[in-house]
Amino acid sequence: MKKRGFLLILGLVLLLSACGTTKNSSGGSAYPNKHIEIVAPASPGGGWDLTARSVQKILKDNELVQNNINVINKPGGGGEVGWNYLNTKDSHYLAVNSSLLLTNNLLGQSKLTHQDFTPLATLATEWQAIAVSVDSPYQNINELFEQIKKDPTSVKIGVGPGLGNDDHLSFVQATGMKDIQAKDLNFLVYDGGGGDVVTALLGKHVDAVTTSLSEVKEHHLAGKVKILAVSSDERLEELEDVPTLQEEGLDMVFPHWRGIMGPPNMTEEEIQYWDEKLSKMVESEEWKQLLENNDWDSFYQTSEETRLFMAEQEKLYKELIDQSGLVQ
Amino acid sequence: MEGFMEGLLTAIEPINLFWIVLGGFLGTVVGMLPGLGPATAVAVLIPVTFGMDPTSAIILMAAIYYGAMYGGSRSSILLNTPGDGSAIAATFDGYPMAQKGQAGQAMAISAVASFIGGIIATFGFIFLAQPLANFALKFGPAEYFLLMLLTLSAIVSLSIGKMIKGFIAMCLGLLLSTVGIDPQTGIHRFTLDNPHLSEGIDFLIVIIGVYAIGEVFYNFLTINKEKKSQDKKSNMGKVWFSKEQWKRSKWPILRSAPLGFIVGVLPGAGGSIASMISYSTEKQISKKPDEFGKGAVEGLAAPESANNAASVGAMIPLLTMGIPGSGTTAVMLGALIMLGVRPGPMLFENDPGMIWGLINSMFIGNIVLVIINILLVGLLVKVLKTPAKVLYPLIIMLAFIGTYTLSYSTVDFYLLLIFGVIGLLMKVMDFPIAPLVLALIVGADMEQNFRMALVSSNGSVSIFFSSWISVVLLILTVLSLFYPLIMKLFLNKKSAN
Repeated sequence: MKKRGFLLILGLVLLLSACGTTKNSSGGSAYPNKHIEIVAPASPGGGWDLTARSVQKILKDNELVQNNINVINKPGGGGEVGWNYLNTKDSHYLAVNSSLLLTNNLLGQSKLTHQDFTPLATLATEWQAIAVSVDSPYQNINELFEQIKKDPTSVKIGVGPGLGNDDHLSFVQATGMKDIQAKDLNFLVYDGGGGDVVTALLGKHVDAVTTSLSEVKEHHLAGKVKILAVSSDERLEELEDVPTLQEEGLDMVFPHWRGIMGPPNMTEEEIQYWDEKLSKMVESEEWKQLLENNDWDSFYQTSEETRLFMAEQEKLYKELIDQSGLVQ
Repeated sequence: MEGFMEGLLTAIEPINLFWIVLGGFLGTVVGMLPGLGPATAVAVLIPVTFGMDPTSAIILMAAIYYGAMYGGSRSSILLNTPGDGSAIAATFDGYPMAQKGQAGQAMAISAVASFIGGIIATFGFIFLAQPLANFALKFGPAEYFLLMLLTLSAIVSLSIGKMIKGFIAMCLGLLLSTVGIDPQTGIHRFTLDNPHLSEGIDFLIVIIGVYAIGEVFYNFLTINKEKKSQDKKSNMGKVWFSKEQWKRSKWPILRSAPLGFIVGVLPGAGGSIASMISYSTEKQISKKPDEFGKGAVEGLAAPESANNAASVGAMIPLLTMGIPGSGTTAVMLGALIMLGVRPGPMLFENDPGMIWGLINSMFIGNIVLVIINILLVGLLVKVLKTPAKVLYPLIIMLAFIGTYTLSYSTVDFYLLLIFGVIGLLMKVMDFPIAPLVLALIVGADMEQNFRMALVSSNGSVSIFFSSWISVVLLILTVLSLFYPLIMKLFLNKKSAN
């Protein structure tokens, strides 16, 4: 029985390696001339992984790219391991990214930053939400912030999975506009991430949470929590009753974006190739369906726009991190 | 009731039956292999579920999940190497049973215990999903910390006669759990500037290392003297348990199912904690606690019932609140969102057909699995007949494959070997291994919950006494630590009289 098991594994290994080599035949020197590998810098099942796999599937299904496309998972270090890997590869490797690419560097957790890669596109964004439980004494964002200003320790704010992420920094930016010192904020850090934060809010272990919209949207619709404000530039579908931060007098829009990039030193043609393919991809029905399923909004920007956007974002994040007191 | 019948019809559609059988079988297989767990199996199948009917997808993923609970104990019993955290408790008595020549009975009783645990928990799901979900919300940081403290005290109190060694192993596990980025401050702890270590040491690597690799290394020491042990091992016993064994296991199985179910509902607790608490509970109320750890059949049956019940319980926070309670349900959540299903408070109202389909598939799945697993007993006991010189290289190969699938990194191979050597040393010096692994599993969460509890109470320790749940957990913790001592004093007194 064991022997048979061994043969089975051997067979599988051979089969897998065969899959890895057969379709490598497009030949010629025109880019791309071999497999495309998309690096998901996280374990299977997470947001980055799903983004990478969706891009893979939509590019293939719509025959936008003829070459074989694989997704490789390189989890670790909040993206660091996967991006380090990409940094050493040729232009047939791409990787999914998000603002962590900038913040890891600014927080001193990584040497790499956006300038060590070739930005190809910004693809989608989620919005941030600040929420309280339905019977909370704070019925709008200004009431909440006034209480924080009066007595910062009296309001426990749930955030996860760690400080320095968009959930945390968007809240720092918003409270900063009301002259609240970031270091006074009473954060409870749930390292299980968004789901844990919402459980804590439902169980009244925290007074307010700052998290991605998708974590609290269903609970808001079911009348279990109240979203006080969203970080988008206008009110969102299904949540017409929730004001934006801007409407509440806080002049900010905070996207939680995801994008895709290549290794450094990609040629003009290669960049142009992806501009063409990705701009077509974001127009597809499947992509729109994906955005809807995940509560994401389209946020497509070309490679050039993304390059400028990254520089702008880096400046903003640097300010916020200085303000947050995370780096001395 | 109408919903139930409709769900039954969904679940017995041929295509869904196919997914149940496939998922259950796949789960059993990955559960058996060290390092390959249900989370990996579900993740690998995500591309397959693209385009599937969401109900079929969740039926398939759930079948893998509880299938792995059946499979997980196989390698615990046969090789003393658990496939996952929730199968650790099965090594305590399952492996001694196999050494006594009762491998067949051990596997049969664990399959039946898993079955009963699964069925009871599925009934619990039907009647108690919503109230239990609300109960789970009462668990704040203080309660979680105390639950984990109870788990650790239960583990240590199991190592009767070598409690100090148990404590040392536990502390080592807690130390290891501090590796990685500290979520509260963002400081890197013991990461040696290696980004791979910044997310901590995966407890599965430690399980594979100290158990599988450690066991192999340990057996290398005696591999050339194996003649004698081979004779002993070739007696695998019957493939069905005796009436006497059933009588001893019946109540432990029935008691452990609701316990495992409730622990499973708590996000983040899961099968490892459930099986450990059920094992130590059974040991403490048993009339023959001395037999535990030496091949007591109820010591195997109880945690097996509990961990399968926990896997059903874990579906409750996922489906009612969209909150994943374990690694596997986190992956399932991702897959469901891709399919356009957003688990949460609205799901029961918007899509009851899916929930009922899933519930019915769990009934059918558990029946299928008990059959599969009992049929496999005859085949699996042959593992014991495999010559060591063939078996051990195979285990090493599987261990390396399993480790690689965790994060696709070769750094983990070094960790695997280091923990293999640690496992060997612990075996040679007669240290209990379970406290190390379980402390590592709960350590990081325990620390974080302790700090959050204190942050939210502005530093006052009174928060650990502030709810009835906390008080109950504290009493249980004290009892689990001192019960053996009290019993001993009591017995001494009695005999002195």
